[in-house]
Amino acid sequence: MENIIQTLRKNRSQTIMLATLVVLFLSTLQGMEPNDWVITVLRGLAVASVTFLVASGFSLIFGLMDVLNLAHGTLFMIGAYVGWTAYVRPDTMLDLATPFALFIAGLVLAPLWGNLLARARVSNVGHILPWVIIILGLVVLAFGLTRYPITAWDPAVYDKSPVVFGVKLDLGQTDLPAPVTAESAQIVLAMVGILAGSALVALGIALSAMRQRRAAPARAAWKALGLALGLSILGLVLHLWNDALTASLVAAGTTWRFFLAMIVATLVGAGLGALMESTLIRPLYVRPIYQLMLTLGLGVIGREVVIAIWGRTQMQMPKPALFNTIGKGCPAQTLWDALANQCSTFYFMETRVRTYNEVFVFVMGVVVLIAVWMLLQRTRIGMIIRAGVQDRAMVEALGINVRQVFTFVFALGVGLAALGGVLAGPAMGVSDDMGEGLLLSALIALAIGGLTSFPGAAAGSLLVGLLQQFIVKYGQIGIALPFLAQPFKPTPPLVPASTLLLMVIVLLIMPNGLFGRKE
Amino acid sequence: MDNLLQMRDVQTFIGQFHILQGVSLNVPKGTITVLLGRNGAGKTTTLKTILGLTPPRYGQVIFDGEEIQGRRTYEIAALGIGFVPDYRAIFRDLTVEENLQIAERKKGDLQRKADFIFGLFPDLKRLIKLRGNQLSGGQQQMLAIARALVADNKLLLIDEPTEGLAPVIIEQMIAAIQKLSTETTVLLVEQNFIVASQLAQYYVIIEEGRSVKSGLMTDLLKDDATIQRYLGTA
Repeated sequence: MENIIQTLRKNRSQTIMLATLVVLFLSTLQGMEPNDWVITVLRGLAVASVTFLVASGFSLIFGLMDVLNLAHGTLFMIGAYVGWTAYVRPDTMLDLATPFALFIAGLVLAPLWGNLLARARVSNVGHILPWVIIILGLVVLAFGLTRYPITAWDPAVYDKSPVVFGVKLDLGQTDLPAPVTAESAQIVLAMVGILAGSALVALGIALSAMRQRRAAPARAAWKALGLALGLSILGLVLHLWNDALTASLVAAGTTWRFFLAMIVATLVGAGLGALMESTLIRPLYVRPIYQLMLTLGLGVIGREVVIAIWGRTQMQMPKPALFNTIGKGCPAQTLWDALANQCSTFYFMETRVRTYNEVFVFVMGVVVLIAVWMLLQRTRIGMIIRAGVQDRAMVEALGINVRQVFTFVFALGVGLAALGGVLAGPAMGVSDDMGEGLLLSALIALAIGGLTSFPGAAAGSLLVGLLQQFIVKYGQIGIALPFLAQPFKPTPPLVPASTLLLMVIVLLIMPNGLFGRKE
Repeated sequence: MDNLLQMRDVQTFIGQFHILQGVSLNVPKGTITVLLGRNGAGKTTTLKTILGLTPPRYGQVIFDGEEIQGRRTYEIAALGIGFVPDYRAIFRDLTVEENLQIAERKKGDLQRKADFIFGLFPDLKRLIKLRGNQLSGGQQQMLAIARALVADNKLLLIDEPTEGLAPVIIEQMIAAIQKLSTETTVLLVEQNFIVASQLAQYYVIIEEGRSVKSGLMTDLLKDDATIQRYLGTA
């Protein structure tokens, strides 16, 4: 008890600020029906969850390596599209899995090449040869990829466009197009091409690394070989069982597919993050401005790539069956009944609440909050991250390879954003501009909470989410302000503006944010 | 006598500033060697250059028979070099225990070394659950040295261990460094000449980025002219 009082005294402005905010939010009860208030708070919590998934990853990345990843919103959006694909078109996802596994299998060979080159005493390869090999590898890769049969959609043709499949699934139909087939000779050629192409790329990378470094240790080479073999076999197995796996995924239903989509999107996001950090960001750690330009550009490019693949229109991502039943005991009276009957809505404090939008999204946000918190507090890598946020050089001077930790954190941050994208998909639809507004909200949330503080990211997201939803609600019902005859109805542009205003007020009083630290 | 560490005509640039313009030195195994010199002479940069935190542009750094210049800092440290920087670099969000755990290179390092470490600094055992930012300056210095002892380091680079500490604590620190030097070789930077002369068997004087004089501490103590000229103290 004494401890608590002492901490409160120490953080006086923080305490006063938080108390004021709580009072303000409670005072909104005055001009509002209780159900309106309950639903607004629940919606605010859900928006806060999604914002938090973007903000926390952004803040981890910024805290540890000072990279402002402006592509974070785009990566959130890509997560939604990847999740959509796994969810609505499992056949396409499985068709892509084999080339993907083979591609990675080729890439992980880099340490093996490095070791072999060192044994062959290759040195002084110049600047050009590695690039020639990398480009050659990419050509071979493209040759292989285009010959591998992939059952995809076609955004240019209405019948085959992704939008149609989303709508169909929403209507409860999962009829997928007939799988594309090819002769086995062509398939073998394609698979060998992908493997050879990516192995060549890895050789190019190993060659360019030769110029600066010594050989990779033999252990890493063996590991690489084992990993490559394992991934090749995985790719082969996925190819042979492709039809059976597709059928079982379709039969598994939307609930299971949705959980699969969350996992796939998170992993793909993490992979993209790791790739981004290790290839593009790493050479630019000493040049922050270039880095900013790079991530900004990547964001734009990523969006165009998504438009090229999935088309420009907004796509539907139906809610998983677990949260989507109407009628038959629905809306339920309690959350447990709702889950038992798979209701889409239920009554909570006499307010009708959507199970997915207002409960599931929030619960996932809390789960991630706790999981990341445990990772940071209870694991060795978490300890290294916390230490590295303060002093990277000292962490490295202890004999720890900080770059590996950088890659891990980048992967984690982008993975979280991608998960956020999947979660947001069924609630707000999947579109190529879904990331932009959210990145802005996340940045405001971080500024409010304190840029590199993990609890700050949570608190800031909470405030931004709640405030946004209250302004939206007041836009519908109006707010009675003193000296105004008519209730004031905030217009939609005031929603982002209000969060900015909150940010300005908080930063005026506490320049480092609620949980930030003085530098 | 074997030299654990040798530097041969090392030159380091920070940005375009030519900080080290030719440092050569030997650190004999099992001894304490002290770097002496005025503020800004390049003593701290010498330590950072060994670790690759400010990588050398020319010259050789040889540790335990291997050339280590140009390697990454974590690889150099993992060869068995511990670093205690002048700003101590205690991780303030980590507890004392975590500050020690993070220095483990093999699982169980801390447990193995616990008796030795807490024998040197009994206070740390009492403070084990506190966070880094709750420690006093002296406690932070103890923790910084303790952290460098967790892994099996052959060489400790200790920068200004007594700076800003109360006299009583300086006494403790001298005793602790003397005791730990029975197990590891130490390269020390120390502005306080009295402390340096108590601790070290060998000295190297650095002046404007060059190593200008080195030898046995007992000889230096007799050489008032050198002390006057380079260190400005009597």
